[in-house]
Amino acid sequence: MSDSGDSDVSWIFYKDRPEWSDLTPVPENDGPKPVVVIAHSEKFEDVYDYFRAILQNNEKSERALQLTKDAVELNPANYTVWQYRRDLLQALGTDLKSELDYVEAVIKQSPKNYQVWHHRRVLVEWLKDSSLELELTRDALLQDPKNYHAWQHRQWAIKTFGLFDKEMEFVDNLISEDVRNNSAWNQRYFVMNNHHGWTDMNVQKEICYTLEKIKFVKNNESAWNYLRGVLLHDKKGISGNTIVTSFCEELYLNKCRSPYLLAFLIDICEEAIKKEETNSLYNAQRALELCQSLATKYDKIRSKYWNFIGEKFRKYQKSENI
Amino acid sequence: MNNKENTDLAHRQHVKYFMRFLNILPSSLSSHDTTRVTIAYFSVAGLDVLGSIASISLDLRSRIIEWLYLLQVHPNKENGDMSTCGFQGSSTINIDLDSANSHYRCGHLAMTYTALCSLLALGDDLSRINRKAIINGVKALQTEEGNFSATLSGCESDMRFVYCAACISYILNDWSGFNIEKATEYIIKCIGYDNGIAQCPELESHGGTTYCALATLSLTNQLDKLSEQQVDRLRRWLVFRQVDGFQGRPNKPVDTCYSFWVGASLKMLDALHLTNYSSNRKYVYETQDCVVGGFSKWPDTCTDPMHTYLGLAGLSLIGVNGLLEIEPTLNITKRAYEHLKYLHEKWASEA
Repeated sequence: MSDSGDSDVSWIFYKDRPEWSDLTPVPENDGPKPVVVIAHSEKFEDVYDYFRAILQNNEKSERALQLTKDAVELNPANYTVWQYRRDLLQALGTDLKSELDYVEAVIKQSPKNYQVWHHRRVLVEWLKDSSLELELTRDALLQDPKNYHAWQHRQWAIKTFGLFDKEMEFVDNLISEDVRNNSAWNQRYFVMNNHHGWTDMNVQKEICYTLEKIKFVKNNESAWNYLRGVLLHDKKGISGNTIVTSFCEELYLNKCRSPYLLAFLIDICEEAIKKEETNSLYNAQRALELCQSLATKYDKIRSKYWNFIGEKFRKYQKSENI
Repeated sequence: MNNKENTDLAHRQHVKYFMRFLNILPSSLSSHDTTRVTIAYFSVAGLDVLGSIASISLDLRSRIIEWLYLLQVHPNKENGDMSTCGFQGSSTINIDLDSANSHYRCGHLAMTYTALCSLLALGDDLSRINRKAIINGVKALQTEEGNFSATLSGCESDMRFVYCAACISYILNDWSGFNIEKATEYIIKCIGYDNGIAQCPELESHGGTTYCALATLSLTNQLDKLSEQQVDRLRRWLVFRQVDGFQGRPNKPVDTCYSFWVGASLKMLDALHLTNYSSNRKYVYETQDCVVGGFSKWPDTCTDPMHTYLGLAGLSLIGVNGLLEIEPTLNITKRAYEHLKYLHEKWASEA
């Protein structure tokens, strides 16, 4: 947030307010020859001169609470101001519900600021009331569906207060809106892992869901990664689930050459080699060919990487032939 | 403005760019008021990677050093408590406070880390660092979970500060404030189903936090706690971040800073050479402002010191001419790193 204080004509400086005349402002001591100096506005300096004064006096008052609001508006990243504000809230016994409204407004203005989300979290912890958190984070995610802060807060609230009930519905909607939203796929894993659990039936359900999404957009790393995540819970690994392998082979036969498909096939081959379960489809020779086609045609930006992986299979091939 | 044809480093302009940031910044940067030390770090480290540390005059050098030392928080005079020790990010709260509220004036791990790196790049001998106090300050910030809070006074805790704490401990050559076992456990818990590493357990894997995690494992000699399979898969996740430049998460736009975060992660896993240097370089150059200097995250957007430094550091990793080599774990030049090694020897002989 920028310091636009100088353009605010109705603003009265703290130094000109009679109700603050008892307090001596404390200027910043930046040493005799400071560097990286920010040319703050006069308003910024005035507000922080008075903030330092109340901090030094350890003044716990309503006017101090009001002052922290002005200080936060000028720099919402000042964690000391937020901390002092929290200490004031406790000392004054302020209504924390209204503080929730206030911090919600600040979050809307600065949704990618660590301090505001931290403040929110502490308030929710104090109140032991998480009834507004899903809506708050939903709103933030409507603005930016990949906002890391919002996801972090949401996961924390869900985990701490057991708010899993409708989360899968929320995730479904986000993935329907944007199948490439990696954050939403991650949240899907989070909900499965902590709430629904990886029963055999759920594993199969999630596989089917993901394959549908891959059918829709084949070149989507997020869905392919999720598929691998689900298969971590399949005892037969990535090579043993026939629904998955036949899906992949069908894609391949239908000329799909998404690097994620080819990489997946390579990993199936590798697993088969390691389990000593190679067959006519999954073996070192095929993996090597796939690496070569990725390197030369379908994923040229990673040609060195695929050649490097290919070398590994050349070695496997030699040992297979021995 | 940006010159898409450009494939050369606007070396002279970048030097000027950083020199400007070392002096005075516009009021529009007021929200960086508590993190001025990081701006100093990006500028000093940037000049260092440009091979231009000598552009900083002796007078300016001593000004920077004196200013940084003013921000060091010393043990409580009354009771000797060291839990607040470290560096503040600016002098905003650099005031005398009595015991009741002295905790408001406290060090911040990211500021301590970047202050130490700046001092090293400037060739300071760290003799005015209260090493014992700072390590106690680090110790006070490790959580039960194994990660670290940024400050003693009301802050979130996550992977970024695990990294900062590791760098501080490494630089001061003292691990008594850092529980390596717990931190390693935390890092392993943050590995996602897609094999990248997140800020906290179960969050989305991220290029920046993966860097913080890997650098910590490297600085603490714990990289071998990752299985061969984990390393292979993490390499894959990292290599897949390349689009032309690098992105921080799957399906997110490319951003100049990830040429460093992801590039350095790959370097630590001995796999950077498997990426495409020319596409990477070309993208970073597209975000270069050849007229006034600086790099931005995307082409034709605003430059800033962080993206400028990380752009240069990313280019250095892939051997662009005219840039000094970077030590990927600490994110300082090899030149500054050699100076640190010299200090470690000196401390060892004094002990």
